[in-house]
Amino acid sequence: MSTKAQKDRIELLQGTLDLLILRTLLLGPTHGHAIAKAIEFNSDDVLQVEQGSLYPALHRLIKKRWISVEEGTSENNRRAKFYQLTAQGRRQLVVETSKWDKLAGAIARILRPAEQKSKP
Amino acid sequence: MNRRQRMLHDLDQDIRDHIEVETQDNIARGMSPEEARYAALRKFGNVTRVKEETREVWSLVWLEQLLQDIRLGLRMLRKSPGFTAVAILTLALGIGANTAIFSVINGVLLSPLPYKDPQQLVVIQEHDSLPNVLEIQKQVRAFSQGGGINVQRMDYTGGTEPVQLRVGLIDAAFLELLGVQPMLGRIISPAEDVQGGPRLAMVTHHFWQNFLGSDPRAIGNTIHLGGNSYTVIGVMPASFAPPMEHADVFVSLWAGDPGTAADRSVHSLHTYWRLKEGVTLAQAQSEMAAFDRRLAEQYPAEERERRTKLVPLHEWLVGDVRPALLVLFGAVGLVLLIACANFASLLMVRAVAGRQELVIRAALGAGRGRLIRKTLTESTLLSVLGGAAGLLFAKWGTSMLLALRPEQLERLSGINMDTRVLLFVLVLSVLTGIVFGMVPACIAARADVAEALKESGRSTTASSMGHKIRKILVTSELAVALVLLVGAGLLIKGFSRLRSMNPGFNSANVMTMYLQLPTTRYREIPKQTQFRREVLARVNSLPGLEAAMVTDIPLGGNYVGHRLVIDGRPPVAVGGEPIVQTLTVMGNYFRVMQIPLRAGRDFTPMDREGQPRVAVLNEEMVREFFPHENPIGKRIGWAGDAGPPQWMTVIGVVADVKHSGLNQPTDPAVYTPFAQNDERWKRFMTLVIRAGDLSPGLVEDVKKQIWSVDSQIPVSDVHPMDELIAVSLAQQRFNMLLLGLFAALALILAAVGIYGAMSYSVNQRRHEIGIRTALGAQGWDVLRLVLKDGAKIALFGIIFGIAGALALTRLMASLLFEVKPTDPATFAAVAILLALVALAACYIPARRAMRVDPMVTLRYE
Repeated sequence: MSTKAQKDRIELLQGTLDLLILRTLLLGPTHGHAIAKAIEFNSDDVLQVEQGSLYPALHRLIKKRWISVEEGTSENNRRAKFYQLTAQGRRQLVVETSKWDKLAGAIARILRPAEQKSKP
Repeated sequence: MNRRQRMLHDLDQDIRDHIEVETQDNIARGMSPEEARYAALRKFGNVTRVKEETREVWSLVWLEQLLQDIRLGLRMLRKSPGFTAVAILTLALGIGANTAIFSVINGVLLSPLPYKDPQQLVVIQEHDSLPNVLEIQKQVRAFSQGGGINVQRMDYTGGTEPVQLRVGLIDAAFLELLGVQPMLGRIISPAEDVQGGPRLAMVTHHFWQNFLGSDPRAIGNTIHLGGNSYTVIGVMPASFAPPMEHADVFVSLWAGDPGTAADRSVHSLHTYWRLKEGVTLAQAQSEMAAFDRRLAEQYPAEERERRTKLVPLHEWLVGDVRPALLVLFGAVGLVLLIACANFASLLMVRAVAGRQELVIRAALGAGRGRLIRKTLTESTLLSVLGGAAGLLFAKWGTSMLLALRPEQLERLSGINMDTRVLLFVLVLSVLTGIVFGMVPACIAARADVAEALKESGRSTTASSMGHKIRKILVTSELAVALVLLVGAGLLIKGFSRLRSMNPGFNSANVMTMYLQLPTTRYREIPKQTQFRREVLARVNSLPGLEAAMVTDIPLGGNYVGHRLVIDGRPPVAVGGEPIVQTLTVMGNYFRVMQIPLRAGRDFTPMDREGQPRVAVLNEEMVREFFPHENPIGKRIGWAGDAGPPQWMTVIGVVADVKHSGLNQPTDPAVYTPFAQNDERWKRFMTLVIRAGDLSPGLVEDVKKQIWSVDSQIPVSDVHPMDELIAVSLAQQRFNMLLLGLFAALALILAAVGIYGAMSYSVNQRRHEIGIRTALGAQGWDVLRLVLKDGAKIALFGIIFGIAGALALTRLMASLLFEVKPTDPATFAAVAILLALVALAACYIPARRAMRVDPMVTLRYE
């Protein structure tokens, strides 16, 4: 476990995780653990998120005022914090999604010719 | 509670809840509680780091971390006081020396001159006469203003004892040009600065304090200068002084010396000019060239040889000292480099030693950047502390520089620690810490955690790399020290050459004092001659001394030249005659000064008024003008006199005297007797006295004899001849002492560097040495093993140092006297010195290595 690898991973998550959180909250206010579960579940467990990294991301989004937080009670009647999208966050989600689509499309276009060449 | 505090307030609780929920989920999936909790924790990741990163979202992270690093750093430094002290002292020496020299450079080269728009001011290198100055003011368009000054000594008789003052004879435009606002009263107006104008005086602040009792109503007072009375109309501010000249009082040239003011051929004024906005020096120079041509056509007898050269004032003032200061600054920069190399190698040792700690921090999740930053904070902390200590050294160093300063660095009085100097120290310290902390920091942070933890303690890779870098550092230190030593060696050699130059006279046991007769009472030459005879007779009546007189003593800074004609030679165009130095003497001047007579005879009391006029030449004069003939009996005279020349017969030849400085060539010179003097303006003389001992009592006795002839004659510039020689060498001595000091500092630092590196290496190799000893190696073998290592470093250091010195010493060629910048003897001597010091520095650790007890080391391992 070298420090260099850790650093790479953080960079990979930055932004992407934010986008996933925003997308999850689109369905309604959710508490921390449930957000992590939802991301895992919706991505068919492909994305193995280190759950801890959720918290810096949530705080980052709160600081940017894209989401807000509210005290409440969870399903099993415990004190819990519910995170929800703000109007600004909703707008940002559209922007971020289209950005992501563009990026994914661009990367796909770059990678596809390479695949074709390697096949024959 | 602000947003940040509120958000972070229950972060711990959130995280605990999260893990709890996950654990419950896991239990629900059928795991044992213990297993469930472990899985939840693993899935969550590093709790501490999550908290840290979350906190970072909300904080000014860098600031918080910086403060944290500084606190940590200070704690670490306190924990190892030895290391801290050595590191700070090393840097303090380097930074202190740099700061001291920089404050000199700042004061002398960088600060603007204290005049209005000083960048527009230029100097005409040649002196000029007032009629010509007035023409330039009228005709030359390149200048908006300009004026001149000539300082003459006049006696002031208002005090208890007659004193001699320096009176600046000026034209009205001079003070206006410099933009000086009088502190009291006013300055002279152009309408008053005319032939027959009123006698008005503007006094300096210094004069006002000393002679006018700082009286705020001093304006309107009358003072007596050179036998005339002047009305005080203004007092200058304390900050004001002419750029080059020293003066106590300023009066109009018309009032102070009307004869000179009216005479186009007497070029007495040193002139300063202000370039008009947008006019370049070159434009002004070419306009002056055209002016020179016009003037030469108009007045061929006086102005035939005009070659006006303009020099920017600042360059004129500092041109002489700039090369020396820059060389010193370069040298002191090299000292800092050595200090920094030592500093870096200290840090390196520490970085290697402290690697375990860093590795643990990395294992706990510290990022690499963070680790580098932490190490850098520590090194910068040290360097800033070093800088602060360096300021103390610098303060002490500058006062030492001030005490040593030669006259050419008079502007040094204005040096102090201003903001620019403080900024310089700050930038220097921080840069030192960062740049020289970088390599050790990177080495430390390269640590591969898993690898390092396995290694546990006896590290190999990082430390061997560190050791290699240290060797490079020490080698460069030795090389740089060699460059400095060569520089210092060259200066020392040049200085000793200069010191051992034969000045042409024997300065030991000679006292000199300057006398000047006032025009009012000694206008006529016979009265002057009578005074001189009388004074000499009375002084010579004192026991145990012999006295004589001369117009200008060697190294006294004064020089009079006349245009020479030789009887029987084809005539030279008017104004084109060669100029030779002229000296007038009375008494046994050559015997008192012990200037050897080479041919013919000395003057005798018979060579007096009414007798055939005679002259004695110096050898240079004979070489130049009588190379293949016997000069004795030849007749010479001065050009420019009305009517036929008054021929003087050459009666003797004396040895050359270094009149203008030991490093200056000797000019052809003619000595004539005062008794046959026909120039009224030669009202001044220097008494030279050779005595068994030069006690203050002697000076008092001589003064009494002078005042018994005329109690109103001031006696000034009382100096032993030896002192004049010392003063003339001051600049060279200053350069030599400073560079020598820096070189010594460099040598010590480099010796400490190589000593440190070798001690460390011996320590690292204890194990190996122990085994070797166990296998039968003798003390001598071990010694050789260690010394070989040190010798290799020293050898490379010397080779690179010689290469560097060959490249750099030519920059100081202008500071050297009769020594080539590549003087092989100096290079060899310095290389040997450095090798010896390096080996001595290695010898101590080598001795320690010899005493290594194999049993102890092997068991210890």
